[in-house]
Amino acid sequence: MSFAAGLFYVMAALAVVTALGMVLNLRNTVAGAMCLVVTMISLAVIYVVLDAHFVAVLQIMVYAGAILVLFLFVVMLLNLRSDAFTPSRATAPKVVGAAVGVAVLAAFLAKLPDALPKVAEIPADFGSYRQVGLALYRDYVVPFEVASFLLLAAVVGAVVLAKRRLS
Amino acid sequence: MVTSTSLVNPSVLAPFGVVATGSLVVLLLEVLVGKRQSFLGRPVTREFVGTLLSGVSSIFLFIALIVAAQFFATMPGRIVFDPAHPMVAMDRLTAFATILVCIGSIFTCWLASTYLDELRIHHGEFYALLLLASSGMVLLVQSVDLVTLFMGIELMSIPIYALAGFARRDLRSNESALKYFLVGSFTSAILLYGMALLYGATGSTDFVQIRQAFDASNLLAIAGLGLLVVGFAFKVAAVPFHQWAPDVYEGAPTAVTSYMAVAVKVSAFVALLRIAIQAFGPMDARLSDLFWVLSAASIVVGNVMAVIQENVKRMLAYSSIANAGYILIGLAVGTEEAYAAVLFFLLVYLFMNVGAFAVVITLATGGKDRDRYEDYAGLSRTRPTLAALLTLFVVAQAGLPGTGGFIAKFILFSAALKQGFVWLPVIAILGSAVSFYYYLRLPVLMYTRDPEGAAPRMETSTGEGLVLCTCAVAVLLLGLFPAAGPGFLSHFRALEWVRETVALLG
Repeated sequence: MSFAAGLFYVMAALAVVTALGMVLNLRNTVAGAMCLVVTMISLAVIYVVLDAHFVAVLQIMVYAGAILVLFLFVVMLLNLRSDAFTPSRATAPKVVGAAVGVAVLAAFLAKLPDALPKVAEIPADFGSYRQVGLALYRDYVVPFEVASFLLLAAVVGAVVLAKRRLS
Repeated sequence: MVTSTSLVNPSVLAPFGVVATGSLVVLLLEVLVGKRQSFLGRPVTREFVGTLLSGVSSIFLFIALIVAAQFFATMPGRIVFDPAHPMVAMDRLTAFATILVCIGSIFTCWLASTYLDELRIHHGEFYALLLLASSGMVLLVQSVDLVTLFMGIELMSIPIYALAGFARRDLRSNESALKYFLVGSFTSAILLYGMALLYGATGSTDFVQIRQAFDASNLLAIAGLGLLVVGFAFKVAAVPFHQWAPDVYEGAPTAVTSYMAVAVKVSAFVALLRIAIQAFGPMDARLSDLFWVLSAASIVVGNVMAVIQENVKRMLAYSSIANAGYILIGLAVGTEEAYAAVLFFLLVYLFMNVGAFAVVITLATGGKDRDRYEDYAGLSRTRPTLAALLTLFVVAQAGLPGTGGFIAKFILFSAALKQGFVWLPVIAILGSAVSFYYYLRLPVLMYTRDPEGAAPRMETSTGEGLVLCTCAVAVLLLGLFPAAGPGFLSHFRALEWVRETVALLG
């Protein structure tokens, strides 16, 4: 097994374990968020293994950086005590939910391998700065520019709802 | 470096650009004017700033409307932003939908001005958010790519979350905003998941390429299509994805409710229509079955639940669910004639629904809505004109002959019957029969009972008057004019535009 393959398996296992750690960590939200950071970073390492360096950098900057910091801000701002969200006692919804989840997963696992299209060979420079730049500023320039209005809308909306006094 | 710059058509984005620029101008204008003592020789008060911004917003929307109408009148076919990566397109269907969206937004501007003063929440941000949402709708109806479609939906939804909670001191408005936000985020996730699956199955986000690569035996593609339809069903509040609608419609300021009930629905339905025609046409049988079930359920649940409501805004919410059911008939039938009937229905629905909400808005006074049924008792004595107009609008929604509502339902149901769909029109006609009860309850209250409780607002502002007049004239004209000749659909020419859209798929 090559070094890259070994790194992939280690990081993939770490990503799965920490993702479970986030979902199952009901009592301590901060610990859950920290588990998510590790998931994001292991995914970034997998991107490096795949030679998509720019995507890896973005993964760390956007997810591990910005989004996780936002999560932690919200967690600390709300200052929830662990008993504020006691897991519900009712078992019926849990059992039904788990059954539906498992059924869907089984259906997907049974049929998915055939349903997946045969992927064409990925170009060598996939995920490079050049390719990402071309995709963003040439192919998808309209949605990219619209995103700025989307952010403006979110900012104005947040100010309208949250500012103490509107003049 | 090879670029395709010479082939790009930025003019396709003109209506979107005008509306989006308007939102920036409104934001700046509020800051610049709000700080001054007087502007254009008038003292700067909150009411003055509000009226000014309302006017400026409607001017921008009107320019966008003119641009869209220009496209509509001179359009030789269909132009896209960049032939290599279409993203957004402009054709008759888009231009028509853009005109509807602009009319709906202009009405909202005119209605909001006095209404927000009455509720004492007149802030300039309202118009900026309104224009941003409208620009999202314009983008949504001209999207021919899943990425722009998603951006359009988000740009439409995010400002409306804030608008729903615009009455910040009102708990019901807070509840409305939170519910709409949570359901909306959930919807976005479902839509996005569906889009990801479709991309995985077909290898493209472009509608035309999706259609070429779409394989109905592929589980991934079918799951993606299903999730996409569920996402849209949430947005148009079709049963069983409707539970949020009554609470959100009731709690939001009424000007926002009418905007949600009309503009959001029109743009979401036109986008769905384009997806059905362009990405999955000719109609996939399973897609048709899906629309059939959504349609029948919406008609039954919407009409039955509307009967037991005690609040006029909630009643109108359920009636808009039922209307979504009627529109879905056209999508289930899936012929060009049915699509044309859907477009005509949307046109009529715009006027009769805004009209009904405009009356509720015009009655609001003392910082409160008058939205319980008792508030309408004896309205024919206190506000006879408003009582008559409200009667016209509810009678049109019930589908009485002589109004646009009748013609809209008639051509929709006959398109379904022609295609061999019998049960859907039967369910719809029974549903309309039920709807007579809750619609006509308002005229009965207004004309047979004595006024009780606090007096309603006695004066109508210019903006409200304009909206009420336009809606009333449109509802009557669209109902009476078709009677002049039998071949009405060829007058309306919607059939022709839909044919054009279908013909231009390649």
